[in-house]
Amino acid sequence: MTGALAEIRNLRIAFPTENGGWHQAVRGVSFSLGREKLGIVGESGSGKSLSGRALLGVLPDYARVEADVLSFDGIDLLRASRGERRKLRGSRLGMVLQDPKFSLNPVMTAGAQIMEAVRIGNRRISSAEAKKATLAILESLHIRDPELVFDRYPHELSGGMGQRIMIAMMVVREPDLLIADEPTSALDVTVQMQVLSILDELVTRRQMGLIFISHDLQLVSRFCDRIIVMYAGQIVETLNAKELGAAQHPYTKGLLACLPTIDGPLSPLPTLQRDAAWMDTL
Amino acid sequence: MTNPILSVKDLSVRFGAATVVDDVSFAVAPGESFGLVGESGSGKSTILRTIMGLNQDWSGEILVDGQPAASDSRRKFARRVQMVFQDPYASLHPRHLIGKAIAEPMRIHGMDNADARALDLLDLIGLGRNFAYRYPHELSGGQRQRVAIARALSLSPKLLLLDEPTSALDVSVQAEILNLLNTLRKELNLTFVIVSHNLAVVSYMCDRLMVMQNARMVENVTRAQLRNGELKADYTRDFVAASRL
Repeated sequence: MTGALAEIRNLRIAFPTENGGWHQAVRGVSFSLGREKLGIVGESGSGKSLSGRALLGVLPDYARVEADVLSFDGIDLLRASRGERRKLRGSRLGMVLQDPKFSLNPVMTAGAQIMEAVRIGNRRISSAEAKKATLAILESLHIRDPELVFDRYPHELSGGMGQRIMIAMMVVREPDLLIADEPTSALDVTVQMQVLSILDELVTRRQMGLIFISHDLQLVSRFCDRIIVMYAGQIVETLNAKELGAAQHPYTKGLLACLPTIDGPLSPLPTLQRDAAWMDTL
Repeated sequence: MTNPILSVKDLSVRFGAATVVDDVSFAVAPGESFGLVGESGSGKSTILRTIMGLNQDWSGEILVDGQPAASDSRRKFARRVQMVFQDPYASLHPRHLIGKAIAEPMRIHGMDNADARALDLLDLIGLGRNFAYRYPHELSGGQRQRVAIARALSLSPKLLLLDEPTSALDVSVQAEILNLLNTLRKELNLTFVIVSHNLAVVSYMCDRLMVMQNARMVENVTRAQLRNGELKADYTRDFVAASRL
């Protein structure tokens, strides 16, 4: 795809094992991303988070990352220096993590953490202006009383509020690409919808690219344009989000079938029968 | 209800100045599966923890098998009620072998053949006895939750309190655990109280459910009422609508 925001071709990530070998956690993942909402789904251990992290360059040093192409907006990330990549992370790439309880600094107020993000992006900004920007972003995330939330510590905030603080920290810099790793799985259904609609609004308004990593197929299909389904470090299927029902791969079908529903039958849930052949679909 | 296995009357729980459970009453019949549903912070987990004696500052009445929970010795109580926690990564001692973790309640209660029974329990929950010699870090989330269930069953309680038993698990693993719980309930004649924010799980698992919001009970509905949309409270309707999307 020309003009792709991010391009990954044949990404492989391996971790050293105890016996001196390598465990291939991601085995040849390729996709390109425009200014769209791309969902990556799969079970834990399928390599979906690792793929997102490779793009950001936040994998641990002992991981072995190889790819034919790993680029962001024409920048070759494989050749970029650490400094260049850090600069990208600070400004044009953002990541929202799963659990606000563990990802926010417990001894800084919510406002101070967002202000810090503002000031890293623009060191000359005065603190009054940084505060103004912070309050503005809080307001755009539908927080009713931004002044009040500004002075709260993370433990004084609910999960949904904490999640919005993390989103605020990331989007206040107006990144071109936002990677959201299970941004709503710690939240209740009602709050989940709120947070998603906020993300959706931001992505549409600011023309961002979004990679939405989740284990929740239904959620992703409602929210994203395109879905990549991963199993054991490989992409087994790429789907148009609207066509989730037409999924072909037995793994995708299995994941869909094993969900209980409000109106579903009470007979035992079908469980996923794993096929060894799925390991080498490519 | 004539002889409920669990009866909670006018229960209020306070954390300092905050009232986190406000005047809640419900009863669960033997063999029934009862769900507690609501947003986080609505007080549903606190109710389970209070039943187990993990909160001190409460008022009201909690009867298990007709007896006040508070009057029982902790030890006797543990034989009747057990709890399974949400996070299987946090609820097992990282340096105890699986077999030891399952046998520990039986050892505390001075039961014979604790180790042999632990092995039987591992068979019962579908892991197999070889797992007795592993450590929690060698197990996946679903396997750990099975161990937590085995441990809860080790004293043969009649009532099992399950706090979000599958919300930390993958959907594929969730299906296996829910199936296991249903099988165990039938085979061992257990009564379940399940706390969950996932209405689909509760509708699948529970005969009846109570919806909570802001520390208060909103509404009690049966599974049939939930499925037919016979709901009285606006909040319940919103909650169901958000879950159905």
